[in-house]
Amino acid sequence: MAPETRVPSRAAAVNRPRVGVVKFASCDGCQLTILDLEDELLALADRFEFVEFAEATSRRSSGPFDVLFIEGSISSPEQVVEIARLRAATKTLVTIGACATAGGIQALRTAAEHEAFRHAVYPAPAFVESLAVASPVATYVAVDAELRGCPIDAHQLVELLTAVTTGRRPQLPDQAVCLECKRRGLECVVVTRGEPCLGPVTQTGCGAICPGMGRGCYGCFGPREGANVDGLARWFTDGPALGSLEPGDVGRLFAGFTGGAPVFRGVTDRLGGRPLIQLRPAGAYPPELAEHNPPRWGSAGKEGLDA
Amino acid sequence: MHEVEGGGFGGVTTTAAPQGRMNDLRFQVQNLTRVEGEGSLHLLVRDGAVAEARLQIFEAPRYFEALVAGRTPNEVLDIVSRICGICPVAYQMSAVHAFEDLFGVEVEPSTRALRRLMYCAEWIESHALHIYLLHAPDFLGYPSAVEMAKDHRQLVADGLRLKQIGNHLLATLGGRAIHPVSVRVGGWSRAPRKAQLSALQPALHEALRLARATVDIALGLTPPAFEREPRLVALHNPREYPMNDGRIVSNDGLNLAPQAWGEAFHEVQVPWSNALQARGADDLPYLLGPAARIVLDAEQLHPLAREALQASGALESIRRNPYRSIVARAIELVHATADAIDIVDAYEPPDRPAVEWEARPGTAAWATEAPRGLLFHRYQLGDDGKVAAAVIVPPTSQNQAAIEADVAAFAPRVLDLPMDAATHQLEQLIRAYDPCISCATHFLDLSIQQAPS
Amino acid sequence: MIERHWSAADAMGSATRFLPTARLGELVLALRGDGRRVIGPVVEDGALKMAEIDHADALPFGWTARSEPGLVRLERRAPDAAGADRAFDNGPAWSGIKPWTFPSRVDALALETRADGSLAVRVDAPASQPTAVIGARACDLAALAIHDRVLAGGPAVDPDYAARRADLFVVAVECAMATSTCFCTSMDTGPEVTRGADITLSEIGDGFAARGDSPAGQRLLDRLVLAPATEAHLAQAAEQVAAVRAAMGHAVETDGLHDRLLANLDSPRWAEIAERCLACANCTLVCPTCFCTGTEVVSDPDGRESTATRAWDSCFTAGFAQVVGGGSFRPQHRDRYRQWLTHKFGTWFDQFGTSGCVGCGRCVAWCPVGIDVREELAIIAGPVPGLVPDAPALVPTAPVRAIAPAAVEPGSIRTTYVPTTLAAVRPETADTTTLRIATDDPALLAARPGQFVMIAMPAFAIPPISISRIRDDGIELTIRAAGPTTSVLARIRPGTQLALRGPLGRPWPIEDAYGRDVAIVAGGIGLAPLRGLLDQVLAERDRFTSIRVYLGARTPRDRLFVDELEALAADGVDIRLTVDRAGPEWLGRVGIITELFRGAKPTGANVTAFVCGPERMMTAVTDLLGDLAVPPGHTWLTLERRMECGVGLCGHCQLGTRFVCRDGPVFSVAELGSDLRREGL
Repeated sequence: MAPETRVPSRAAAVNRPRVGVVKFASCDGCQLTILDLEDELLALADRFEFVEFAEATSRRSSGPFDVLFIEGSISSPEQVVEIARLRAATKTLVTIGACATAGGIQALRTAAEHEAFRHAVYPAPAFVESLAVASPVATYVAVDAELRGCPIDAHQLVELLTAVTTGRRPQLPDQAVCLECKRRGLECVVVTRGEPCLGPVTQTGCGAICPGMGRGCYGCFGPREGANVDGLARWFTDGPALGSLEPGDVGRLFAGFTGGAPVFRGVTDRLGGRPLIQLRPAGAYPPELAEHNPPRWGSAGKEGLDA
Repeated sequence: MHEVEGGGFGGVTTTAAPQGRMNDLRFQVQNLTRVEGEGSLHLLVRDGAVAEARLQIFEAPRYFEALVAGRTPNEVLDIVSRICGICPVAYQMSAVHAFEDLFGVEVEPSTRALRRLMYCAEWIESHALHIYLLHAPDFLGYPSAVEMAKDHRQLVADGLRLKQIGNHLLATLGGRAIHPVSVRVGGWSRAPRKAQLSALQPALHEALRLARATVDIALGLTPPAFEREPRLVALHNPREYPMNDGRIVSNDGLNLAPQAWGEAFHEVQVPWSNALQARGADDLPYLLGPAARIVLDAEQLHPLAREALQASGALESIRRNPYRSIVARAIELVHATADAIDIVDAYEPPDRPAVEWEARPGTAAWATEAPRGLLFHRYQLGDDGKVAAAVIVPPTSQNQAAIEADVAAFAPRVLDLPMDAATHQLEQLIRAYDPCISCATHFLDLSIQQAPS
Repeated sequence: MIERHWSAADAMGSATRFLPTARLGELVLALRGDGRRVIGPVVEDGALKMAEIDHADALPFGWTARSEPGLVRLERRAPDAAGADRAFDNGPAWSGIKPWTFPSRVDALALETRADGSLAVRVDAPASQPTAVIGARACDLAALAIHDRVLAGGPAVDPDYAARRADLFVVAVECAMATSTCFCTSMDTGPEVTRGADITLSEIGDGFAARGDSPAGQRLLDRLVLAPATEAHLAQAAEQVAAVRAAMGHAVETDGLHDRLLANLDSPRWAEIAERCLACANCTLVCPTCFCTGTEVVSDPDGRESTATRAWDSCFTAGFAQVVGGGSFRPQHRDRYRQWLTHKFGTWFDQFGTSGCVGCGRCVAWCPVGIDVREELAIIAGPVPGLVPDAPALVPTAPVRAIAPAAVEPGSIRTTYVPTTLAAVRPETADTTTLRIATDDPALLAARPGQFVMIAMPAFAIPPISISRIRDDGIELTIRAAGPTTSVLARIRPGTQLALRGPLGRPWPIEDAYGRDVAIVAGGIGLAPLRGLLDQVLAERDRFTSIRVYLGARTPRDRLFVDELEALAADGVDIRLTVDRAGPEWLGRVGIITELFRGAKPTGANVTAFVCGPERMMTAVTDLLGDLAVPPGHTWLTLERRMECGVGLCGHCQLGTRFVCRDGPVFSVAELGSDLRREGL
């Protein structure tokens, strides 16, 4: 799942690398992580030229990009076209976050369920364009590096940017969350409380946030190298420590923000726990409203014009 | 999508309308910037007058209401936060209160206080983000805060510091600032220690100082002269400024329980947008958010914030002029920082992080005040304690019709301006609502179409 | 080696005192009064954890623990018959002492490029922080003794550990209950506290029998002015520890376990465990003796300043045994589990003269899927004769030290980094570069062929690079750009300063070839560590009956040191060369390196062969030399494994009984035995 990382040479730091940040289907949280680097943001702006970052600047660029960060999954027909164009305009393409790297939680829908989903949410789904499945960026184009997480971790982001400027390989470990958990001196929530935790099969990088807050990991960094998901799922369903969860409960654990990753998805497919699609109660949307033109303020518009 | 390099607002294009009439003209502002999410604006101009404004949200749909089906309440808390990376706490709060209301869970008083503290943290980081990084550059004439920092470094640094303090507080309570992990039905997965929160007090006092300075800065930004009489809707709680808990009220006399949102409002789908729009029972738009709260809940502001509001003399202009929302946000920053300081002072950790609870079937509904306004959740729970159906109505989809109405009212004055100036002014107006399109599903291109009479 | 504790026997002369529970706080205050932070077990988030305490009240009075494979529950316990709450009837705290003596993250090396371009090298010594531990169990003390050997008793001493250890005061507690996961009796480490403590407490009724086990411990007890323990106290203490011993029984048969384990490296059970094992590393991280670490480098965005941090790592991760530009030597979970178990209970003896297990049971209790080593040992290497297959002939059953490691006395390996200057850079091929390092450091100048150095420069990982020539004014390093760090090293400018740790490792045993036919066999970049050997062999030409050099390269363009070697050939040195593939302009030989032996066979017992190249090439050459009757003890290889420290402290490069960095990288085929070819070792 982790592609070979290519980073521009150190010489690139002399001319500020042209950096873009774009999004597809997502919550904006990963690109917000860039704006949340409060201590580093202005220094980063000196070092990199943010030529495209719609959430932060009105300046726009269609490329070329030395480094392009992509948030979000590919979920609509336009996005398929756009990602190909962006790839062609980019040297180092970095996917950021669970949506871009694993499809995000929206990747839980299958092609067969798509119509049901559309009808569940929209009264007139014909107006809504979306692909049957939401996919990670790597499904459509080659990816040079990825930052996992929902959202990504600020330290990993800084590490990646530093690797770009120094020309070294970013240190993005593929170990289990457990290593970070124990380095932090946190007790295992599975062992002490029978709390299901995906830490043993999830890639670290978050700093073991969930066990640090007294709960099990929900896998938002996606499967680690060699994740023994079956071994863990078996212990959750059959082992004594958790009071034996129902298979569907375990399946739902894996159906999270990286539930589209094949390794996790396999567990959910086998044990159940996929989202249950139910239509909205009839009459929630009077169908005639769907065709209305947008209404106006009472008389406010006229008043405003006089100002 | 992004065709133009170095300024402007994306692809501002003039094309013939599909009908091909000579006097049909459609202007498009593609991809509004410095808003959260993706969308565009289309204007239909008929005989020189604006006939219609359409806010098109092309953020690809993610079907959250379907994704929460079959999930347990605690799983829902994790999932709905992903609707929006800017205001994840709001989604967790509306949901957790809805479930606890249905299940009859009485949380510990310190849990209630901590939840309010968490909301304060989110308001601080979200408002600071919008004021300093997204909206102030409009008033001062810069494409971004980074460019603005070249001339106003301290201003931007102060804004970042405010945002950082909000984020630190949020991460202390929730493990991380974006998609925090600690909110559980009945309380928390882990409640903070007293010392952890007390350690933040110096920073919170610094934030209060910065917030009060922000009010003065916001008052110094001259708003374009544009006024209208909006219908304002917000939660109201006589005991406190509304965040987690209050009745839905409006400036035209509405007053109902938060669970009863559906009695006064409904959602419709419009063909040009991936977001559903909400309307009043009379089918008319309404406006949520800081301006609505300031107007409807001024009496409940923290004394320091009330003092700032009174000193500003801006209450009436906040109500009438959408560009004054930046002042409303600044006053709410004072409120959130001052309130946070009081909560931390009084905090005593709960005996246990979460109280016991049991799921019940039925309808769970609640509304809280997200930074951008009232956020309504309704869940149908089955006998198995899992969600059977869900309705989530984010503030931006409720504001969408109001934004369109304001744009339609404002647009005539820009029709004769050069396109880039026109789009800049329209975009600045839209940004004043701090629209969060990821939530609404999400934002923004402008098109202006000349239609036949 | 740290030997500062008295054995319990030395303290026999001093009377054991009685410390009433109500006065336990005085002990804590006295330790704090001496300027120590006090660490003790506390209940935190539903588990018993070692943490800093201000007062004895923080200790887990009234708590007991139930522990099974993969399940630990703390439970309230009613006061005993005397109405007293007991503090220590709860087994070993999960986090143990390790986080204080061997923290999970320690800054190991800080580098800064100064404005004038020179390099500042800083090794952070720990700030002296005297520490006392209350509530260490016999197993914890046994683990401490093992760490003393591993981290401070070998040729390389971990300076951070040594400093922390020197300032440690231990108040041990003799266990009055065992959990179901405890098996210290099997490992002969407890439950009686016999060594390593300053004070030993036995919890009896409303107080403790307190024994001063070291002069410092006795002095402290003297200061508290305590009454002597009565006969009844002593009897009760003896009774309860005897009861614990009886309750634990004998879960692991240790007699012959080392040999039985190593005889079962091919047991089908490894694969069965791998179906359950998550390779999550929890067992190694809670193990009080596991000491493996990795190096993480953080730098400023300019790459001018950086800090290398030593962080807990685990043999259960893929990256642990991964080499740059190659895969992991232990790709599968079963390889990793086998490495851990055979090291802990087997090859640890070969390396450190002791078991790596102290029987604390943490790996059993804290395995999130409840894998029980006691059970697995019985299945894989049980003492039932029928289950033990015949041992393969080449499996070493005793420590193999045919040739002594380069350094044996404690602290004899220098671990510091020395600033040096890059004097010249010479490109050899498109991807290979020779760096000439100028230094007047006597140790570096005394390097011997086959040794290597660790190279540190700000912002980059610290790779091991073999020395390709030893000069009067410095050394040469030949580097192939395999990853970002080596790529950058190949591009740096003369004048740049580099920090070097070394020379490290065992050199080629040139003396072994005196009076014999020398065959030097190099594939690709493998010529680099052999070049210095060739220099030396030619300098002592008369001591060998013949000298032949066999070289392989991928293509003619990938040949190294072409001018030098052509000059030697012209001078009559027998140098044979083949390339894997070549264009029509190449008039030389094409084919694999073993083809070269057709013309001039290094045959018989009078040959000493020195071989370096890709591992597959080396095994092929080894096979051929074996066929040609060259004794395995005369064929020397240099192995490539992941090396993070270069001095035998990080654990990454372990191969069976050896650390490749410290015990090698040069080994004879006889020494390696079947380990050379075993997959996943």
